[in-house]
Amino acid sequence: MNQASTLPGGFSALEPFVAQWGLSGTARRAAQRTASSPEAREAFFEAASPLLEAALTWLDDRDLATLPPAGRRLMDLMLSLGHVALAVEIQGPDEVKSAVWRDRMRIDRSTADQGISSCSN
Amino acid sequence: MPDAASSFQRIPPDELAWLGTGPIPARAYHDPAYFELERQAVFLKSWIHVAHVCELPEPGCFVRRDLEFAKASLLIARGKDGVLRAFHNVCTHRGTQLVEEASGRQSKFTCPYHMWTYGADGALLSAPDFEAFHLDKPACALPRVALQECGGMLFVNFDPDAPPLRIWLGAYAERLEQMPAARATTFSQYSYEIDANWKLTYDNFQENYHLRFIHPRSGGAGIGGDNPFGYPASLGFDGPHRTQRIWSNPAPDLKPFQRAAAMRGLPAVAEQGLLDLPFGRDYLAFFPNLFVIGTPTQPFSHTVYPISADRSRGVVRLYWVGEDGNASTRFAREYALAQLRDIHCEDIAMIERGQKGLASGALDHIHFQSMEALCRHLFNEVDSRVQAHARALGERP
Ligand code: FES
Ligand SMILES: [Fe+2]
Repeated sequence: MNQASTLPGGFSALEPFVAQWGLSGTARRAAQRTASSPEAREAFFEAASPLLEAALTWLDDRDLATLPPAGRRLMDLMLSLGHVALAVEIQGPDEVKSAVWRDRMRIDRSTADQGISSCSN
Repeated sequence: MPDAASSFQRIPPDELAWLGTGPIPARAYHDPAYFELERQAVFLKSWIHVAHVCELPEPGCFVRRDLEFAKASLLIARGKDGVLRAFHNVCTHRGTQLVEEASGRQSKFTCPYHMWTYGADGALLSAPDFEAFHLDKPACALPRVALQECGGMLFVNFDPDAPPLRIWLGAYAERLEQMPAARATTFSQYSYEIDANWKLTYDNFQENYHLRFIHPRSGGAGIGGDNPFGYPASLGFDGPHRTQRIWSNPAPDLKPFQRAAAMRGLPAVAEQGLLDLPFGRDYLAFFPNLFVIGTPTQPFSHTVYPISADRSRGVVRLYWVGEDGNASTRFAREYALAQLRDIHCEDIAMIERGQKGLASGALDHIHFQSMEALCRHLFNEVDSRVQAHARALGERP
């Protein structure tokens, strides 16, 4: 793995966020939303939300199933950004009190997760 | 043209007075004796949603579904002949549960205890030293439970005398077939257990009275203008089932990122023809415990399974056509799931608080206003069955 550039060109501003938010699995991304601090969520939202359109446009030109590691990381970052945006943009001051209830709603399955069920078509 | 800011017409309370206007006995929402009657008269006699056909695309595909209200574990499988069947997940030799896995694909099911082996059609195929039993194999098939499908949704019924599913679903069967879920090939799911009665839980999702108070931020797009409560545009009733058309806010208060996320999901659902479906603003409530929402960008079902008088289990599924075709679709689907989960977590907090208040029996009655008509209709439909069953048993209802 090339540590110097873990993301596709043009998205290097997001490198500091890869360790915390470049998570595979919908449930893990949702859990990180709860585990993170408000400051970490705000910093990520501020840095990444202006890049949402560019990132999805870059990713849409490629086959999801064969994304290189850098592309997969960018995808995971954008998926985490969706969770974080709900906390920062929508819930704001309500985020803390609803988090404990949200974690009671277990994510059993998501189309973003691979190999979720041998029978899903 | 009416101007957009005055688009809402409240349904006159008189139109709903046929449902009754009186107080509702509180014990229906917490009393174990009432729950036991409900279990027998409602849940063991109704078509209960348990799965979707997309979970069982090939012969040999199976899912296990545990239904607490029946103390039953069911095995739902597609046979070699392509037919879907439901069985009790119980070996006919001495009752051992046959399958532990939640889902999978296999052509045979073998009981680990003495190796009786069944086909995906439930027939006993082989059993060691079977001659010593004085039994016929056909008499040893897995016990069947009625299973029928409508709009991709699979329902079971424990009552051998139940009417066919389509008769049961009535006029809403055709609407169910035109919901996005009917075309779904996959879904995302979250689930929860809650310390609350199943009706108290389900009722939360069939009234909009609470939206502005409980979801001031998460549900902000559905309230506003001349409809500050976000009341429905219309209501409908058919037998034990009911529907509402969700009011379309002419000026929804969407935040920039929220809007961008929704836009990213639109091309795929447009291409799939889901924007042209006729019931995209509708909520279909199927008695007793399922509702289905047609919103093309966030189509979902919610089923509330009773466990006891004061405990329930909810399953929410977002139904999608095709796997995530590209990054934008994947992103929009995950955002839609997370957004819905945000709204629902605010609900369950309030529902548990409601059960805590009712548990002591301090209240004889609770009250429904006209815009809680769907909750009243559910109570009426449950209570008429409970009363009739109690009379048949010679019990106090
Ligand atoms: S109990 Fe299943 S084979 Fe004996
Ligand atoms: Fe709600």
